[in-house]
Amino acid sequence: MPVRRRAVAIVAAVVALALAVLLSLAVGARAIAPSAVFDALLHGGHSDAAEVVRGLRLPRTLVGLMVGAALALAGTVLQGITRNPIADPGILGISQGASVGVVLAIAYVGIHTLTGYVWFAFAGAGIASVAVYAIASSGRGGATPVKLALGGAAINALLVSVTTAVLTTKASALDEFRFWQVGSLSGRDSELVGQIWPFLLVGVVLVYAVARGLDALALGEDVAKGLGQRVATVRIVGGLGATVLTGVGVAAAGPIAFIGLAVPHIARALVGSDHRWLLPMAALTGPVMLLVSDTVGRVIFPPSEVPAGVMTALIGVPFLVTLVRRKAVPA
Amino acid sequence: MSTLVRGVRPAGYTVLRAGRARFLLHRRATVVATVLAVLLAVGCLAYLCVGETFTSPVEVFKVVTGRPSPDELVVGTLREPRMVVGLLVGAAFGVAGALIQTVARNPLASPDIIGISQGASAVTVAAMPFGLTSTAALPYVSVAGGVVAAALVYLFAWRGGLHATRFVLIGIGFAIALRSVTTLFMTKGDYLVAQQAQIWMTGSLNGRGWPEARPLALVLLVLVPCVAWAARAQRTVSLDDDTATALGVRLGRVRLGLVALGVILASVATGAAGPVDFVALLAPQIARRLTRTAQIPLVCSALLGALIVVVGDLLARRLFSPTELPVGVLTAAVGAPYLIWLIVRSRTVRPSGGTA
Repeated sequence: MPVRRRAVAIVAAVVALALAVLLSLAVGARAIAPSAVFDALLHGGHSDAAEVVRGLRLPRTLVGLMVGAALALAGTVLQGITRNPIADPGILGISQGASVGVVLAIAYVGIHTLTGYVWFAFAGAGIASVAVYAIASSGRGGATPVKLALGGAAINALLVSVTTAVLTTKASALDEFRFWQVGSLSGRDSELVGQIWPFLLVGVVLVYAVARGLDALALGEDVAKGLGQRVATVRIVGGLGATVLTGVGVAAAGPIAFIGLAVPHIARALVGSDHRWLLPMAALTGPVMLLVSDTVGRVIFPPSEVPAGVMTALIGVPFLVTLVRRKAVPA
Repeated sequence: MSTLVRGVRPAGYTVLRAGRARFLLHRRATVVATVLAVLLAVGCLAYLCVGETFTSPVEVFKVVTGRPSPDELVVGTLREPRMVVGLLVGAAFGVAGALIQTVARNPLASPDIIGISQGASAVTVAAMPFGLTSTAALPYVSVAGGVVAAALVYLFAWRGGLHATRFVLIGIGFAIALRSVTTLFMTKGDYLVAQQAQIWMTGSLNGRGWPEARPLALVLLVLVPCVAWAARAQRTVSLDDDTATALGVRLGRVRLGLVALGVILASVATGAAGPVDFVALLAPQIARRLTRTAQIPLVCSALLGALIVVVGDLLARRLFSPTELPVGVLTAAVGAPYLIWLIVRSRTVRPSGGTA
């Protein structure tokens, strides 16, 4: 794929992202003209519109940006590490780890705020990843793609049973958890943004550090070794990055599915499978999808909102189906 | 021809001669199946003996063989039908998972990944707030949901052929969409409906008996010849597309047949007990690692599925008594550690093929 085409794709994605951000700031129960949005952001002011933009929509949009980028990057890296086209934070049990953290926090620690959930989600995601990697890397042959995928599925199964055990026995926990479980951006405030941005930064740095290594891994383990890549290091660093990013996404917005699975495939269709292009493309496409879904969810069935986690899937499925049908998906 | 072939026997196989017919029997798979059958029998006995009141094995035998016994009510009316449903559901999920993993060439593919369970769940959970909560009507609703979801996936994934990765990806897309619709419905009703939906979605044998077991057993009986065909057809599908086509296999038809069989099995099992999570994913993988055959062994998958569900339900009934958990909570707890142990212990490094 020529560099020019890739560059065009990246520029197009940047433009799309700018539009998505603008829409997310301007559209909602009360539509605000773009000029008023810029005015509110640049010059302050205390009109109702300005307060809505600055106090409600700006944090929500920032969280959407971060979560979309984080989940898309995590999915891309996990698919690269496991060489499995259907790997994503959900299937490999990392999102589920975060969910277990939140369930336990609700049921036994008595934490009921979003900013309180964050740390538990992080801890859960971290423990789940370590467990998956420990399982996959033991035995002879180290962490092969198949062992990683199956280990992830097994851990995922165990964690789901922990979650359901708590939820089916504690009605009060279910009543609170079911609203978090849907995955949503509503009611996210600037405090949350302040809490998660350092993690996002760390995750992005870790993931970009292994871009070349992931390219080599795609050619197979032996070739990667022959090219001088330390396969285990690539997997551990990449996995660590993916874990931190998943933690960011799930902690801030609940287990929003689909972005981690579909965006890497969409990005691959646009810029090919070179991770140095693929990662930025995913980081741009993820938030576009999430913000557009969130914005559509706000206005589709007024006065109630459809949570972003539901809209991503409903908007994303046709996208994925079209793409997958159009060409043989490079696994 | 036979003079040429005599003496050339694939490693690990025994030739069975019956008159003029000959069969190749995979020795290790046979041993594993026998051991699993024994374990399953022990598990069933334990299931019938253990409960709120302990029944002696002697009385259990009396009840099962139809002789008069004081424990007729507890064993024959309460535990036995529930166990039969568990056995059938487990076996159906085990085979369904094996077939779908073979066609998709991906160990992560199973009915609960590619949208069948989610289709059933979405329709069922959507029906619940509308007062449709009887266990008599729900199974039909969920079977319809599962089959429709699978048909949609197949339709969208079909393009001049069924490409394995395309099929799985589109399946997962649908699964996620349907699951998010389900979670949305979960937030719509009051928490009692949510609680009931949560239990159904976890998979439960609570209150299941002969009314559920009969149609399930009937469907499975009808499907036995199909499964026998599938066991043969599996081999051709696990080759790469070009080789299979060159050998004269009608890949599209065979795949459609295998997937349809898997979908029907998974749907009727889901209708009877709800989508018991992960049995379909775990059982075939454990079976394959135990037997070390080239394909996923169907008989062992069925036995393992049944074993996981029966033992899981026994634990779910007794572990936290008097609280009874849904069986779906513990199936993963029974199966997953074992799969993990098998992965940790794995000695051979397989090339990362599709079904490895």
